Amino acid sequence: MDFFVVSLLNGLSYGLLLFMVSAGLTLVFGMMGVLNFAHSSFYMLGAYFGYSVGRLTGFWPALIVAPLGIAFLGALIERYLLRPVHRHGHAHELLVTFGLVFIIDELVKLLYGNYPLKNPMPVELSFSAFRLFGLDYPFYRVFIALVAIVMFGAILALSRFTRVGLIVRAAVRRPHMVEALGHNVPMVFLGVFAGGAALAGLAGVVAGVFYPTGPSMAQELGVIVFVVVVVGGLGSLEGAFVASLLIGIFSSFAVGVNWTLADAFALVGVAGADLWGGAFTVKLSTVAGAIPFVLMFLVLLLRPAGLLGERQ
Amino acid sequence: MKWLAIAAATIGLLLVPVLFGDRFVFVFIQMLTASLFALAFNLLWRHTRLLSFGHAAHFGAGMFATIHLMRLAEANVLAVPLPLIPLGGALAACLLGVVAGYFATVRTGTYFAMITLAVAELIYALGSQWEALFGGEAGLSSMRLPWAGWTFATTGEVYYIVLGWVVPAAAALYFVGLTPLGRLAFAIGDDETRVRFLGYNAHRAKTMVFALSAFHAGLAGGLLALVNENVNYGAFGGTVSASVVLHTFIGGSGVFLGPVIGAAGLTLLGALLSDVTRLWLLYVGAAFVLMMLYSPEGLAALFIANLRLWRELPWPSLVRLNLLGGLAVLAFVCTTVFVVELAARALTEGASATAVVLFGTTWSLSSPVTWAIPIALALAGHVALKAAIRQRRRLEDAVA
Amino acid sequence: MTSAVISLQGIAKCFGSLEVIRHLDLDVLEGERHALIGPNGAGKSTLVGMISGLIPLSAGAIFLNGRRIDGLAPERINRLGLGRSFQITRIFPRLSAQENLRIGVMARHGIRYSLFRPATAYSAVAREVEALLAKVRLDGRAGVVAGELSYSEQRALELGMALASEPKVLLLDEPTAGMSRDEADHVVDLIRTIAIGRTVLIVEHDMDVVFSLCDRVTVLAYGELIASGPAAEIRRNARVQEAYLGTEHVA
Repeated sequence: MDFFVVSLLNGLSYGLLLFMVSAGLTLVFGMMGVLNFAHSSFYMLGAYFGYSVGRLTGFWPALIVAPLGIAFLGALIERYLLRPVHRHGHAHELLVTFGLVFIIDELVKLLYGNYPLKNPMPVELSFSAFRLFGLDYPFYRVFIALVAIVMFGAILALSRFTRVGLIVRAAVRRPHMVEALGHNVPMVFLGVFAGGAALAGLAGVVAGVFYPTGPSMAQELGVIVFVVVVVGGLGSLEGAFVASLLIGIFSSFAVGVNWTLADAFALVGVAGADLWGGAFTVKLSTVAGAIPFVLMFLVLLLRPAGLLGERQ
Repeated sequence: MKWLAIAAATIGLLLVPVLFGDRFVFVFIQMLTASLFALAFNLLWRHTRLLSFGHAAHFGAGMFATIHLMRLAEANVLAVPLPLIPLGGALAACLLGVVAGYFATVRTGTYFAMITLAVAELIYALGSQWEALFGGEAGLSSMRLPWAGWTFATTGEVYYIVLGWVVPAAAALYFVGLTPLGRLAFAIGDDETRVRFLGYNAHRAKTMVFALSAFHAGLAGGLLALVNENVNYGAFGGTVSASVVLHTFIGGSGVFLGPVIGAAGLTLLGALLSDVTRLWLLYVGAAFVLMMLYSPEGLAALFIANLRLWRELPWPSLVRLNLLGGLAVLAFVCTTVFVVELAARALTEGASATAVVLFGTTWSLSSPVTWAIPIALALAGHVALKAAIRQRRRLEDAVA
Repeated sequence: MTSAVISLQGIAKCFGSLEVIRHLDLDVLEGERHALIGPNGAGKSTLVGMISGLIPLSAGAIFLNGRRIDGLAPERINRLGLGRSFQITRIFPRLSAQENLRIGVMARHGIRYSLFRPATAYSAVAREVEALLAKVRLDGRAGVVAGELSYSEQRALELGMALASEPKVLLLDEPTAGMSRDEADHVVDLIRTIAIGRTVLIVEHDMDVVFSLCDRVTVLAYGELIASGPAAEIRRNARVQEAYLGTEHVA
């Protein structure tokens, strides 16, 4: 029971963090058709910016300032690196962002060193939210979840109830039509790209003080957020939300489960499969990292448009 | 002319172990396998417009299958001449390619890229856990067994095995481009729907091209395993998948030999410079992004454009143009490298650093000389670039 | 009695709640040049997509020479003898005109995924490609990369591609779209020569082309068939005048 509840809570909190990062990615993908390889690099930069700003001003101002910095960087990248290659097609845009990953990774190592930083949690947030089965449950996990939920609500409200949101939603679906209506679509792209970068940056600031802030942050999350976007469905914010939670909870449970394929065989009456060795004795917990990919395969093969994506 | 160049290159490659020491022969081996890997990768992209971000899966499959076969040979279970063993690696990768390709090529574009990435990540995740098959952190090792009087104990002898496979394999990849399947692959890259309305099963064709690409990637991996006599699951890692993308596009994906320029050039430079700088990947990444911005078809395309001008223009003006352009690039590269390396060393020294050692000289951070050098270099680069652009415009006017 | 080559039986297509084609029956008879006309949004393109296997049906069945073809993949339908051209030129821009046609011809010779000889080494294919190039009047441009051909040359190549698989039935989707008068006349001539011995279904906007080329005309409006018959009859049909010709200028 306690394993179940704690795994669920951790999974939710991790899933919500995933959502914070993938929200921007899926919006940009839906609108520009570009899967930004460097998106999780923005997340990492958010953590580092947050760290640097936080040392000067404390955590709370950094929570605002660092994402703004990342947004500015995102805007520069869109304007000067992506827009010029747009005419060569999506593959080249994808490749540019792919190259950026190396540049950002190496610059971070150059500026901050090739090791995780001491990035302490603000004292006012480091307390126990509640006691659960004799263990203190850190409030910060709750805080991560709260930030993500507030962000989700804010994006939804912005896109549903404001004019800007309307234009953005329209531009995601029919960029040419929106352009024909006289809106400055390149400007909308720039704004969405910068906004998406800011969201990843915000996630970085929040996560940076809880998970280690280190140069491998981007790589650790990188592929998982792609999985979230594909599973959730191209350009679908709601889809990304569901997929993030799904993957967060799955991964969280899998880490604690020591079942093997042999156990599964035993369950259906085939005993002794563990004697075959090999794949049959690999514990589920050790291949937890593979689960999101298996999920992605299933989705791509059975429902190519994603869980909540529209068929094209 | 063309055949002369090919003959000269072949003789040059054959002479490598005679002319160079073991350390360099080993670098050449890496250049050859990286080139074959990049050519295999580009079979998918150049023809079918399929961008694989997980080609390490096939490279790694070739490596592991080869090591397993070598171990079987060592245990006297299998009697296969050593030079033929990499073929087993290629076949294993091809098998994986049929399965992975069948699923991946259901989709195209970004989705295809994501599926290939996921395949590689999945195998990587399994590789890190499944000790029996992949040997865990330490990986698997084996030894080369002698065959027909050859001991394969020296790097030179192994080099000839590698060369003996890479050159025919590259030729085969070239030939594939001329066959009905190769032409069909081009057509699929242009318009898949059209191809289907001509009576072709496009999915089947894409799977076949994918498997062919995997075969050659696996061969490249198998050859490297034969040389290293060791492999661990890192072979499936993102860096391997990434390097082939960088090599191919920096070299030039539009021309058959473009990827070879990138793979051989970057491998060589990497081997020469990795001791000198910690920031090698930063430079490669920057070169890659700049290439995508200013010459999306890579170095090969620049080279070919130059060759074309060569036929149309009086050569003295062209030489001047190339000199100016080269000078500008050189100056900018020097500026960047100088500043970045200076910064890197200053940052490692800490906040109190006043002077750093770079290129065997001590540079004071407060001395105007230290900063005058990059500024002067950048200015020189700027002037050269302006002159090159002027010159080019003049030449274009002259042609028009 | 001549038999129906293409037979649409009660076919329908809905996109969500939108009915694009409503329970439609149509027979295209052997050897006829049959035009499909109708105002924008009438469902012509959807219909062509459905016949050629690109768009799945919501209801009904499609037969080609008595064989049911709905639900089959486009390549299967093509191999049963149906070729098509596209409204938006769909050629292979990186291949030369000659190679474009070769891709089309190879398939019919059963040389699809072969790896053992260069594509140019098949002499029967090469002869046929030459003949086809001459037929669509591109013999002088054989080696030019298709992406660099002029628009009307590309349209000619598009027709050549539809012909390459020697289909008994040709589906032409707006073959004169975006062309000048002269260019369109040229294409009409071309269609006349290639239609010999074939059944042709043409979607066309240009009434001159329709009435100079086709034996029978079917008029579609809002997903429904409102008239079908000999060209001269259709010209006089009051409902057609009202639904289609009346709303659009007759050139």
